[in-house]
Amino acid sequence: MQAMNKPDKSAIFKNKVKTWFSQPQNIILLLFGIVLTFSTVAPIVAIVKDTFQIHPGTIDQHLTKRTSGYTIVNYTDLFTSRLAKTNLWTPLVNTLFLSVFTCIISILFGGLFAFLVTRTDMKFKKYLSSIFIFPYIMPQWTLAVVWQHMFYSNKITGTSDGLLASLFGIRMPYWWCQGLFPSAMVLGLHYAPFAYILIGGIFKNMDANLEEAATILDTPKAKIMFKVTLPMIKPAILSTILLVFGSAMGSYPVPHYLNFTTLSTKYISMNSKYTGEASILAIIMMIFGVVILGMNQLSLKSRKNYTTVTGKSGQLTKLRIGKIGKYLVGIIFILVTFFTSIWPILLFALETFLPNPGDYSFLYTGNFAHLTTKWWVTNENITENGMYGQSGILYNNTIWHAFFGTLFLAVLCALIAGTIGTLIGYAVSKKRRNKWANYVNNVAFLPYLMPSIAVGAAFFILFSNEKINLFNTYTLLIIAGVVKYIPFASRSSLNSMLQISGELEEAAIIQNTSWIKRMTKIIIPIQKSSIISGYLLPFMTCLRELSLFLLLCTQGFILSTTLDYFDEMGLYAFSSAINLILIITILVFNTLVNKLTGASLDDGIGGK
Amino acid sequence: MKKKLLATLLTCALAVTTLAGCGEKPAASASNATPKAETKTSTEKKEEAPKEELTGIDLIISQAEAMTMEELAKKAIEESNGKTFYGVGNSSRGKSALPKFIDYLKTIDANYNMEFEWQQPKNNKIFEQLTSDSLKSTGTFAMTLIQDGNQIQSKMVDTGILKTFVPKEWAEANGTTADAYEGFLPLQTLNKVFMFNCTGSAKFTNCWDFIYEGSHPLFMGVDSEIVGKNFLMMLTEDKYAGWLKDAYDKLDATKKAYFEPTIQAMQSDAKDLGLGANGAYALAWIKLWVNSYNEQTDDGPICNTLVDASATDQSGLLVYSKLRSVEESASVSVNNIKVAAYEDGYTGIGGYGYCHYLFLTKNSPLPWTACAFIAYMTCTEDGFEAWGKDMGGYSSNPNVAKEIEAKFQHSQGGGDQFPAKNDRGYDWWTGEGKGELVLEDPKYCSEVSFTVGSWIDVLDHYKPE
Repeated sequence: MQAMNKPDKSAIFKNKVKTWFSQPQNIILLLFGIVLTFSTVAPIVAIVKDTFQIHPGTIDQHLTKRTSGYTIVNYTDLFTSRLAKTNLWTPLVNTLFLSVFTCIISILFGGLFAFLVTRTDMKFKKYLSSIFIFPYIMPQWTLAVVWQHMFYSNKITGTSDGLLASLFGIRMPYWWCQGLFPSAMVLGLHYAPFAYILIGGIFKNMDANLEEAATILDTPKAKIMFKVTLPMIKPAILSTILLVFGSAMGSYPVPHYLNFTTLSTKYISMNSKYTGEASILAIIMMIFGVVILGMNQLSLKSRKNYTTVTGKSGQLTKLRIGKIGKYLVGIIFILVTFFTSIWPILLFALETFLPNPGDYSFLYTGNFAHLTTKWWVTNENITENGMYGQSGILYNNTIWHAFFGTLFLAVLCALIAGTIGTLIGYAVSKKRRNKWANYVNNVAFLPYLMPSIAVGAAFFILFSNEKINLFNTYTLLIIAGVVKYIPFASRSSLNSMLQISGELEEAAIIQNTSWIKRMTKIIIPIQKSSIISGYLLPFMTCLRELSLFLLLCTQGFILSTTLDYFDEMGLYAFSSAINLILIITILVFNTLVNKLTGASLDDGIGGK
Repeated sequence: MKKKLLATLLTCALAVTTLAGCGEKPAASASNATPKAETKTSTEKKEEAPKEELTGIDLIISQAEAMTMEELAKKAIEESNGKTFYGVGNSSRGKSALPKFIDYLKTIDANYNMEFEWQQPKNNKIFEQLTSDSLKSTGTFAMTLIQDGNQIQSKMVDTGILKTFVPKEWAEANGTTADAYEGFLPLQTLNKVFMFNCTGSAKFTNCWDFIYEGSHPLFMGVDSEIVGKNFLMMLTEDKYAGWLKDAYDKLDATKKAYFEPTIQAMQSDAKDLGLGANGAYALAWIKLWVNSYNEQTDDGPICNTLVDASATDQSGLLVYSKLRSVEESASVSVNNIKVAAYEDGYTGIGGYGYCHYLFLTKNSPLPWTACAFIAYMTCTEDGFEAWGKDMGGYSSNPNVAKEIEAKFQHSQGGGDQFPAKNDRGYDWWTGEGKGELVLEDPKYCSEVSFTVGSWIDVLDHYKPE
């Protein structure tokens, strides 16, 4: 009898294992925990190793008098040489200023806009909501190029006159034209849609009872704002900082075009002669990513699930800003968004008809005969006719090859990152108090917080060896893109999955419904908007990503590197045309997805 | 807790790999590595032949150097028919030259066909790309067309990644033989020349005028394009430092007084850096140049700026050939600029010249085809036409250069209407007392890269006020 009662430990263990594996979320977490650990840690390890490696023809070879092997000389030279200020400290301080100011600008601009759209009776919301996200659709540095065309002047920047100087004689000061201010403004405008979407989501759904209670108690409006409203949107502000800080830190093209030295621009300029030291800069940028993640965890420690603030309230009341005010504020924003969203597009279109890059002389001479269609319709590159050896846009194989390459890359990245992210979000939501689940969630999110240029550098080093050499292949770009963009989908998916009550799935389990069926018939349809956003964001970001892919492929391989190449060369007609192609592509896809599924980027916020 | 877990995991992984790496691959001893890295030059490639024969590339190159263009073409047809040829280069025009090369091979064998892909990496990536490709037993790239003699010497040739092939006809045209020729094989020399906007009153009659008080020439910057830094390093070479001293001597007293303190201040640095008698003049010019140039992303925007009427009195140092694409409009004209060296009475350096060099990769998958393609580009007018059709690029083969001039007549490209576009040719540009181009010497640049080069790195850069 005793023997019969003794539990069979191995059978129990087998049953436990079987039970554990019968839950799809466990398999998802185990599988992606291992894969993501490798995909996140391996590039970091590769780049750390690179900082100790001796590179022929660079400073470490000169200092060690060796052509191979390992050394710590890159660290000592970077931190202690007479170039330390130039190569490290100044770029580091500049980078921090840029990231902080970008966060402030994007939160103020995006947050204010989100407040006006969701909490007031401002007019023209639907139009404004759509147009507001345009700067995020456009590659970030194209706004920098527009800034140059608008504000540069011979007297201040030592270049030819921009539009304001040539048409109105207005010459903006140097701090306005180059350096921290324009870089932060451009990046702030670019990332303001992030703040709008995140903060707007909370404004839209937050319970207005608290504010109303405060109003009844005769609390001053300013106090209500600082003591009630702002604390409620704190998670969204933190999320915006989380997303924007690392992105701004890793931005290469904007500071590059606006002549501001940051860690990213320094990484590129040091890479030829100070290769190992440049890798240290990449590591420093990565450390900031980890620190931000840590700070985010700390700030959310007391809040087990911050999305509870988005629980819908039926009592949302809108602030009346007056009969005239609601039109006036709307019109002001129409004007502002005209300059941030429409004007650049008009300039891009116009640029493709100018006789020379940036030559707007027809505007003040009135001689429209100088406009040309040569940038579009020239079908050869043999005759020199002011095309710098390029065929016209319609016949330019480089552009179209890059376009289709980019589409291929973006679609695959979106599908893979979206699917993995959705599964991770689902699994983490099911096991949200589990430590491994939290680890998987964090390790999936970490690459997003690491500056793109550093992630690109790490992947380049990892996949450039005698066994694997993936430089300039779509495989490498897809791997980097997927790892970098999984967070878009995992966060979007996690937030939406947390809103689904477990009872729904449990009911289906009782009915013996398979997991696939539960996902496709219950979970995904309920949260399709959020899940589709998890696919759309990687797609859109991938289309115009430069910093991440800059080091991984050649110019002409994808559209963003081609665009950057033409911009650097000063062939603005081609870069502007590519911009237009990108914007149209994104709008077409966004509209298509919107029509087919009802989801869109500003879904649920924009005046709906 | 999860943060701790993540941090611990990352730290352990980094530490283990780093330490493992250190243990797995002991550093080469200084006695072995240093002399090799510091003293080996391209001229010593023949001495290495027995070692490199393992790959067969050196053997193929030595055989190819004895062959005519047609013989090479036949070997190429045999080797690459139906295959794909991968090339990588700083110039996009390799892509235009390859179809012509294939057409040429088809004149020998009508059934011949070859696919091709030409890559043009951004920034400095070409060196990393070639280094990474060199790790494979058989590489992807058959050959490269590459600029920046300094890095080529230290990263590509000293390390054995790239191999020089000297075509027979090219050597003959230059009055030498493949065995006797020392150095890399240049496809062409490009020139970057001083220009200034002439819609105002500013005069630039001496190369020191570009760094005189208040002058802020537009320039790509020494970090954006390394050949620009090579130019500055070359100025410290005795010949060019002498040119700078001669130009300085012809300045008026006011300007001399302006430059004199800087030149004096540079004397000790020149001595420390081991420069020649006129080294201080070179260092003074470099210092004031770095302190005053207005950095731009590329020569394209510089050209766009200078030819605009609003860029009154601005100057720049940019690729001469950019002038070819300027279209006349109300505010833009080639006649808004002048090429400094073309002006009567101009004294001193007129700009600098750098080369596009041709190499086989050490693990070239199609070495015969690469040799034939290199010979085609350097020895035939058709092969060089992709570059030769434009002004400002000079074939290294004097015969090809003559044919190109006869066909395209760059010396009269602008006629009387646009005299700045009348290209005076390589001999004029490189002549003393004429164009006085500072020509890049890879070996010299490589030698002073961490002496003069590092000295340049610490100089302050100009920022507009």
